Amino acid sequence: MADERAGRILAALGGAGNVVEIEGCITRLRCELEDGSVVDEAALKQAGAHGVMKAGSVVQVVVGPEADAIAEDIQDLL
Amino acid sequence: MTGVERVVWSPVGGTVTALADVPDPVFSQAMVGPGIAVEPRGGRADAVAPIDGTLTTVHAHAFVIAGDDGAAVLVHLGIDTVKQQGEGFTLHVVKGERVRAGQPVVGWDPDAVRAAGYAPIVPVIALDAQQEALRPVDAGRTVEVGDELFTWSG
Repeated sequence: MADERAGRILAALGGAGNVVEIEGCITRLRCELEDGSVVDEAALKQAGAHGVMKAGSVVQVVVGPEADAIAEDIQDLL
Repeated sequence: MTGVERVVWSPVGGTVTALADVPDPVFSQAMVGPGIAVEPRGGRADAVAPIDGTLTTVHAHAFVIAGDDGAAVLVHLGIDTVKQQGEGFTLHVVKGERVRAGQPVVGWDPDAVRAAGYAPIVPVIALDAQQEALRPVDAGRTVEVGDELFTWSG
């Protein structure tokens, strides 16, 4: 199930090709993307995100305390 | 967990501040849970465990302790302090370690955090709790490290 969530989050971020860097930080994924405009916020929320903060190519996805584990799952998909 | 009332103790000494006043929407909008913040007193000190439990997440600037009943508390030392990459933070514990409330977890210096351009405020979050399950002490009050910060029932 964790893998499925990681996959859905990655897809909503524009796929592996759009991810420059991603890291988990306690409650959120800090993502540096090639193109921040393609992020699908609705899909992120459907995948369990509590909130999404965008600042250009840097997107923070608030996923709760499993952020570190989810970031590792996403790393495995890159 | 019905009927349980946990006491969450302050990890730092300072001034109790409403979570809404923390300059980070993840905390101020209680996205990961309700809680309260402490504006820490300056000077190098140890941040301590707010509850008994197991350290499920440990970073230099933040940690999560899960109690045996599963209730987990997040302590975040300053805002955006991940960017300091651990500089000035001294971990006394490792992930998976069991700690007692009041046990030193991380040594740090709020003044140094402020000097580096970050807010040293310390949100203490009851992860995935309901707002009404918490009874915090009043904002504006001064707490010492290890004083009661809020009770968490349910």
